[in-house]
Amino acid sequence: MHPNKKVALALGALLAVSLPWWAGDQYQLHLAALICVYWVLIGGLNLVVGYTGQLSIGHVGLLAIGAYTFAILAGKLGWHPGAAVVAAGALCGLCGLALGLPSLRLPGFYFAMATMAFALIVNELALAQGGLTGGGIGLPGPGFPPPFDTPAGFYALAAVLALVVTLLSWNIARRMWGLGLMSIRDNPVTAQAVGVPLFRAKLVVFVFSGVCAGVAGALFASLQSYITPDTFVFELSLFFFVCIIIGGRGSIVGPFIGTVVLTALPELVAPLAKLGHFFYGLLLLLVVLVVPEGIGRMFELLGERLRPRVVPTAAITPDLPRLARALEHRP
Amino acid sequence: MSRGGIAPAAPGFGDGAAQAPAAVGTAASAHAGVAPLEAVNVGKQFGGLSALDQVSLSLRAGEVHGLIGPNGSGKTTLLNLLSGYYQPSAGEIRHGSAQLANATVQQRARFGIARTFQKPRLLPTLSALDNAVLGAWSHSRAGFLATALALPAVAREYRALRERAVELLHGVGLGHAIGRRANLLDHAEQRFLEIARGLAMSPRFILLDEPAGGLTGNEIAHLADVIRTLRDSGIGVLLVEHHTDFVFRICDRVTTLNVGRMIKHGTPDEVRADPEVIRVYLGA
Repeated sequence: MHPNKKVALALGALLAVSLPWWAGDQYQLHLAALICVYWVLIGGLNLVVGYTGQLSIGHVGLLAIGAYTFAILAGKLGWHPGAAVVAAGALCGLCGLALGLPSLRLPGFYFAMATMAFALIVNELALAQGGLTGGGIGLPGPGFPPPFDTPAGFYALAAVLALVVTLLSWNIARRMWGLGLMSIRDNPVTAQAVGVPLFRAKLVVFVFSGVCAGVAGALFASLQSYITPDTFVFELSLFFFVCIIIGGRGSIVGPFIGTVVLTALPELVAPLAKLGHFFYGLLLLLVVLVVPEGIGRMFELLGERLRPRVVPTAAITPDLPRLARALEHRP
Repeated sequence: MSRGGIAPAAPGFGDGAAQAPAAVGTAASAHAGVAPLEAVNVGKQFGGLSALDQVSLSLRAGEVHGLIGPNGSGKTTLLNLLSGYYQPSAGEIRHGSAQLANATVQQRARFGIARTFQKPRLLPTLSALDNAVLGAWSHSRAGFLATALALPAVAREYRALRERAVELLHGVGLGHAIGRRANLLDHAEQRFLEIARGLAMSPRFILLDEPAGGLTGNEIAHLADVIRTLRDSGIGVLLVEHHTDFVFRICDRVTTLNVGRMIKHGTPDEVRADPEVIRVYLGA
């Protein structure tokens, strides 16, 4: 890893850990926790959208299922909140499987429509199944037991889970699986040629993103302390999607920055709050027009501009004995 | 999994070759024990159009087999049938007793059939090394969960595959471009990178679709060296090409197609002298 990156990571970690001490008020801590909760979902979704190139705009449906599962199990039925989080993750993994099985064979645009339909259906069901979900009145989202019952404690819990999702997705991204997923995104014909099972790989990643969305939903219900179908508007799904697009495909840092900026800026800068949707519509437009590869790539380009690398223009000269040795050494 | 009834990949056929009796001599005979990849009387129709009709081809291990013919004669169609992108309308594709005609592209990749594309198909934003490593996908046993948890065995396996890809890249002459993004490589480098990716699959057979297209004379000479090295290591190379000089120079056998039918196959000298081949393709 480049030393600059290490320094940046260490600084970021220090800021995140010390946040409860320097945060100005409880609201800022709430906001930080919200960013972490969103990232638990977006970090998983990033493998689907940013790496595999499958344009899912329906993850708010999975978030809602996770949130209601948590509220029902931990609230109505009195489960331990920890167990309810696990159950929410597992159920949303299954829902991801059920949604992915029929829809992941569809080409890009149609897949997006199918996931959108899923989100709309979940919302309608939440409204209609009043006995289970409280209908339009909604359900209270129970809190976590100490030490996670304070804003700082909840923030710590959400931050740890966000870190876990980051690590899991980073491990996937930087090894063979990451290459396979990106081959599905960039060139499915190549992916086939090297043996990547397109449908199964897409399905596995989609289920993973479902589990993440379920866990995020459980945390979300607790953080919001009350959920109704209106909490899970379709715009929220677009928001997740836009965070990744603005951050850049095939990057983890980029979408994370996208999540932080899009969640925090409209809240912290008062005049922007009124213009919430306008603001991120504008940001999306700017990114797509100016840096279509996203914020992550923008930093890379900046780095290359500052330290231009001399590209050696060597001719192709095969090293045949070395080639023969490599061919003999079969894995 | 065993759709098409493919036998599990035999243990590295290099071992088999070593045990083959009295197999000293030419490279081709050294791998005589390995079954060829065969297309038997295959036909392919698109709607009412017959792209291939009653074509047979046998690609042996350790040989370079040329496939030539005018544009539209069905060369790439045959290559797509062999690699699994198309299913034949008639005839069979087989390797020994294994029937491959209905096997998916992925099953054939695992089986040991690699290919390159006429227009290089790389992952543009990834480095040359990452592109080459991708070829080893089928050799990676790491599951999704094991990878997510970064189990030590996963890291070890990936490191080994990466090291081998580095060796292959140096071997084909791309040592200078290992870290460069694939879309910044020049045309010839992209073509060689496709070959390196194919080799990372440790194939028994590699199908090259016009690998010399757009290469300079010097680069074509290097390509010929690389192809000969592949042959000597026991890989069967199918070469779809328009550079007939190049084909006749390095191929052991040549098959000629014209409007979907085979018109001649044999040694380069036999094919070059055939009046029909001269009439439809080579010119006087």
